[in-house]
Amino acid sequence: MTDIVLKSRLAKRPIQEPTAWDRLKVNKNWLGLWFMVPAAAILILFLAYPLGLGVWLSFTDAKIGRSGVFVGLENYEWLWDDSTFLLSVFNTILYTTVASVIKFAVGLYLALLLNERLPFKAILRAVVLIPFIVPTVLSAIAFWWIFDPQFSIISWSLKKMGLITTNIDFLGDVWNARWSVIFANIWRGVPFVAITLLAGLQTVSPSLYEAATIDGATPWQRFRFITYPLLTPIIAVVMTFSVLFTFTDFQLIWVMTRGGPVNATHLMATLSYQRAIIGGSLGEGAAISTAMIPFLLAAILVSWFGLQRRKWQQGESND
Amino acid sequence: MTDAFVQKVSDPKAVLTASAPGPDSSEGMSYLDSLPRRLVTLYLPLGIILAVLLFPFYWMALTSVKPDEQLLDFETYSPFWTWNPTFKHIYKLLFETDYPLWLMNTMLIATCATALSIAASVLAAYAIVRLRYKGAQWVGGAIFLAYLVPPSILFIPLSTVVFQYGLFDTPFALILTYPTILIPFSTWLLMGYFKTIPFELEECALIDGASRWQILTKIVLPLAIPGLISAFIFCFTLCWNEFIYALTFISSTQYKTVPVAIVTALVDGDVYRWGSLMAGAMIGSLPLVILYAFFVEHYVSAMTGAVKE
Repeated sequence: MTDIVLKSRLAKRPIQEPTAWDRLKVNKNWLGLWFMVPAAAILILFLAYPLGLGVWLSFTDAKIGRSGVFVGLENYEWLWDDSTFLLSVFNTILYTTVASVIKFAVGLYLALLLNERLPFKAILRAVVLIPFIVPTVLSAIAFWWIFDPQFSIISWSLKKMGLITTNIDFLGDVWNARWSVIFANIWRGVPFVAITLLAGLQTVSPSLYEAATIDGATPWQRFRFITYPLLTPIIAVVMTFSVLFTFTDFQLIWVMTRGGPVNATHLMATLSYQRAIIGGSLGEGAAISTAMIPFLLAAILVSWFGLQRRKWQQGESND
Repeated sequence: MTDAFVQKVSDPKAVLTASAPGPDSSEGMSYLDSLPRRLVTLYLPLGIILAVLLFPFYWMALTSVKPDEQLLDFETYSPFWTWNPTFKHIYKLLFETDYPLWLMNTMLIATCATALSIAASVLAAYAIVRLRYKGAQWVGGAIFLAYLVPPSILFIPLSTVVFQYGLFDTPFALILTYPTILIPFSTWLLMGYFKTIPFELEECALIDGASRWQILTKIVLPLAIPGLISAFIFCFTLCWNEFIYALTFISSTQYKTVPVAIVTALVDGDVYRWGSLMAGAMIGSLPLVILYAFFVEHYVSAMTGAVKE
């Protein structure tokens, strides 16, 4: 029976030399090109091109509805003498540093706690992540209400406890507003740090801790000489992401304070929105955005070397 | 502490079974800590952190069902509980504002952008990992870099681009720009998943005469379904969460998404607006929380996978 099948096949399809088209159809580079087209089209049209355009816009005096002419470094010179811009740089650095450090500390602590033997561990882990799931804007509105100058539940509770006598003006006072938005950012960022670090912790073998305990290591020594070194690579990556997203934050500030009071909480991102979209000076706004790029590059470099380090630690070659 | 230890030693069988490699639910070293100690070092801090993390949601939900007279009066009524909840705010939100329309917009934009991104990412990830065309590694690196470009430095030039393409103030402005955030992420995630699928399966299919397209749709995709779900959930959440593009590219109220509409259209001078604002925030988060509740594992693996790869 197989003979018959074979014979009929052979009769139907004589052996032929593959044509150029056949060769092309299995050519990896040709196929790869077509597979990449949809992603590449979107990323080039809506990411790479605007990125370049943004740098170009920062050298022009473009306004909304009017394409500008090349003005060289004028926008940057202008910004250099602009106290609001300098204040926003200060705010951004303060916001990023304080929030990232606390997010890391609390996140790591929470991860260590969740790594213990606990009842309902899965549910706890799921609940911890909820602040990260809920859209930032919506939780920012909740914080706006919690930080209300007159009807803040925090002020009320502190007054009932007899700790303060007048309401705290959370978002109306310069430093109060800064700490309030930093708190909201930490609140939102801790779950991300904690859950990703927890995933890293779960890969650490318990036998290492058992061996160290037998050798008489204290809990601090176990953390310092086992957990921390094994966790370093993932910490590098998580913190790079965290710093990156904190540095370029927009939503939280925009909802809670719009950069006020007296520009005290303006970050570079919110200031660029205000100048470019509300004020209409696209060129100046683009210059503020472009000024964020050096910081971004620094974060990317840290992340890159963090990843490299992870590979050789696992004994893999760098591919 | 000692009790547990004595009990263990007095029962040699238990010691033997305990030392055998078991599931992760084994006691480990935690028997070294006594209960009071665990209370102070573990449950207490955990409880405090959880309370802080969850309080805003409780406050949100409570405010959205409080009657007006209790909303601002903390003295006569206890602020932390209400005995006569009302659906007035939610009713007002759903039937007297455009809120359902905004929900539909958000849902539509998030679904379309996610579907588009996943389709593009599957092809790109497969090509990078398995076709290994010339320069695939460099393209993979470039996509990772694209992941690190934040929307807040792109929105100004993008607004002029969107205007040039004639997309300004249409849902397409968002459906086409959200993938710039989603594609790098989901490509990176799917690359990780595709790498775990044995190459031998594909070789067999190739020998049997399958084309690359057939291999992708009939072998790789069915095996990568958990990865696809992870990518889908995470992308959907990101879309729902996105704010700055939606704020910049959409100006008419009927096309707005929930986060933008709440901030721009729902905020008015009314003292009692907090009720409907909180209701809006709560209803806007619910779809995501429900989705998340069903796919926690996928979501976590997406989040940690993107970092670990």
